[in-house]
Amino acid sequence: MGEEAKLTGSEKRPGDTEKKVNELRLLLEVSPIISSTLELDELMPLVMEKAKDMMDAEACSILFYNRETDKLEFEVALCAEDSASEVLRQKITLDMGQGIAGWVAQNREVLVIDDVRKDSRFFGGADKQTGFVTRSIIAVPLIGRSGLIGVAEVINPKSTEFDHEIFQLLCRQFAIAIENAQFHRESLQRERLRQQLEIAAVIQKSFLPDSPDLTKGRLRLSAVNISASQVGGDVYDFIDLPGGKTGVLIGDVSGKGISAALYMAKFISDFRHVSLLTDRPDVALNRLNAQASGAPLGMFLTAIYAIIDTETGRLEISVAGHPPFLRLTKGEVKVMSFQSGPPLGIVPAEYPVTTLSLEGGDALLFVTDGVFDAKNREGERIGFERIIECVRANASGEQIARRVVEYVEEFSRGTDRADDLTMVEMRWSA
Amino acid sequence: MKIEIADNKGMRVIAISGDIDMYTSPELRKELMHLVQKKITPLYVDFRGVSYIDSSGIATFVEGLKGMMGYGGKMKLVCIPERIMEIFSFAKLDKVFEIHGTMSDAVNS
Repeated sequence: MGEEAKLTGSEKRPGDTEKKVNELRLLLEVSPIISSTLELDELMPLVMEKAKDMMDAEACSILFYNRETDKLEFEVALCAEDSASEVLRQKITLDMGQGIAGWVAQNREVLVIDDVRKDSRFFGGADKQTGFVTRSIIAVPLIGRSGLIGVAEVINPKSTEFDHEIFQLLCRQFAIAIENAQFHRESLQRERLRQQLEIAAVIQKSFLPDSPDLTKGRLRLSAVNISASQVGGDVYDFIDLPGGKTGVLIGDVSGKGISAALYMAKFISDFRHVSLLTDRPDVALNRLNAQASGAPLGMFLTAIYAIIDTETGRLEISVAGHPPFLRLTKGEVKVMSFQSGPPLGIVPAEYPVTTLSLEGGDALLFVTDGVFDAKNREGERIGFERIIECVRANASGEQIARRVVEYVEEFSRGTDRADDLTMVEMRWSA
Repeated sequence: MKIEIADNKGMRVIAISGDIDMYTSPELRKELMHLVQKKITPLYVDFRGVSYIDSSGIATFVEGLKGMMGYGGKMKLVCIPERIMEIFSFAKLDKVFEIHGTMSDAVNS
């Protein structure tokens, strides 16, 4: 009612109605643009061009606040000279508090300056770089739901009658639109990353043995491997060796994500080559350690490599910083913590070898840390002891690895799987 | 995770608190590699406030250690809490890193 009274009142000057109509027309024109696109690159120049036209300004710009650097960076600059826009975008950043935009960002207040020469806050650096001459400026903070987004500036507006409140109103809408578009962009990036991780997980699986089960004489091997939501670097392999021997590997690359998956792929191809050159696990690990010494970013790998004689059940085992394994023998569960060398790829090392003879009915269970490091919804870790208890409870049954994995999955139900989970079960039938 | 770097009478100590995992280790990497580039030795890493470390975090120290080996530098890990020490012992990392119970042990070693 108030607005209407002003527009029709007797004090109304001849130009007032036209001015108000123009301002409202701008809002009407810009509102659908703001609400119709989630593409930032389209949105910003369109809106700023409108504001520039309506205020008959020589230039306008948007600076985004970079939270990481705590600086303002030119995102859009509309000037008569394209080269000036480019210079601003490429070269100029402002500290918080520096220049008019920096002051506006720091104080979250609007500034209207008719003559910048009389204002000590003005930063002449941008003009020097671009050759542009700033005389007057209107700067408005862009504030969204999550705080400061940036600063919008209109430079040298000729239309002095323009209502600054309209520009502020426009900036408020604009800030929300930018935030929505940023959120949209981030969710697209997250989706792309998720898809890439899914693909990485599929490719990673293709490096593992075609079948998780292998039977050779009295030896029965079975593996369970479940990928983390972020893709980890777990690896296992069964290798047929000359002389009736079989190699069994379990390993875990440091870190997670695509880097771990890629490194795991490199390692398994190195392993398949090296494992065919020797029937001694210590020699294989010595070579693999030397090959892995140039691993990037400090990446390393823990592993156990066991070679079993499938005629006699005699095993030779070498350990490289990998968690202990479990032995089920005569109804008992034993934690087998053998002499170990450091993880592969860190320092030069000579790996020890330990011999073990399996008896009929024995089973060995090899795990990666994803098995006992799994967390429940309260953030509590399952721990190695609980895994031992679970194995003990299922000691008389078959497929213990599967029972343990089921137990871990039940424990961590409702959480994102943080790490890969791998178990290899080796049975020597009676 | 919080990182504090102190220069104590020429002794460079990097004190870390909180979780060192795949999300926080890039920040640690930046600080650590900056010190390695400056060929600091010995470098003391105070683990007193560390609540958790995963393999990404350990890899960051491995990278730092490898960088320091290049110029004969020494990295000394000190005051590692028991739970974190278990992780180091489990993975035989006590064979990789120079670990000391107290700062004075580390200085006198």
